[in-house]
Amino acid sequence: MVTTQTPPQRCDTRYFGPVDYDEQSVMLFPDGIPAFEQEQRFLALRQPINEPLVFLQSLANPNLCFATLPALSACPGYQLSMAPEDLDALGLEAGRQPAIGRDVLCLAILSLEENAPPTVNLLAPIVVNLHTLCGRQAIQTDSPYSHREVLPLREAACS
Amino acid sequence: MLVMRRRAGESILIGEDIEIQIIHIGESRIKIGITAPKSVPVSMKEVKLVGQENLAAAQLRSVAALRHLLDRLIEGPTGGEK
Repeated sequence: MVTTQTPPQRCDTRYFGPVDYDEQSVMLFPDGIPAFEQEQRFLALRQPINEPLVFLQSLANPNLCFATLPALSACPGYQLSMAPEDLDALGLEAGRQPAIGRDVLCLAILSLEENAPPTVNLLAPIVVNLHTLCGRQAIQTDSPYSHREVLPLREAACS
Repeated sequence: MLVMRRRAGESILIGEDIEIQIIHIGESRIKIGITAPKSVPVSMKEVKLVGQENLAAAQLRSVAALRHLLDRLIEGPTGGEK
């Protein structure tokens, strides 16, 4: 994001200490996400060393940060199948699915349980309108994916 | 589990205050109207599953451990090029 007149702000993060950010890069989740309905403001943190991971850091709660993978990194053939209500809530065009990368950012939350391979939630990716930075966790309709897809994904799931 | 057969336009009552109406039956999905007191939370079951998964995901302790695991996956014989 290009820095303009507003001076950078600083927030504490769960994993990376204090981080400077630009108010214009804040993503707004008006309804929060399930189980964290009160968390409305997030930053997407990326670091070369952690590519392709993207960290969703809550601005209100320094201790809350989700590790995510771009849905297309987790699953190269991933396709969105968003419900009309979700398209509407994000101000996206009705009647067609948004293009990942052009219209929306699409991130799958990673989960790590002990002694088990990491899983990604491809049933309900985080979808952010790239033009407004308004986001929500959009439960997909008729989805072939589960909320706990084991990495690496079986090839059939991604084709 | 109690199983009932209903047609479009018909309803089911649960207790005194909750009504579930079958509004439309499509090819692969049905549209349901739910009337319930404000005190009764109504949501899709997936929302609860996703909430539980979010709570679990928020417990991640170490980024280094996660990265290590992912690196192994990507470099492994089944890993993709991305």
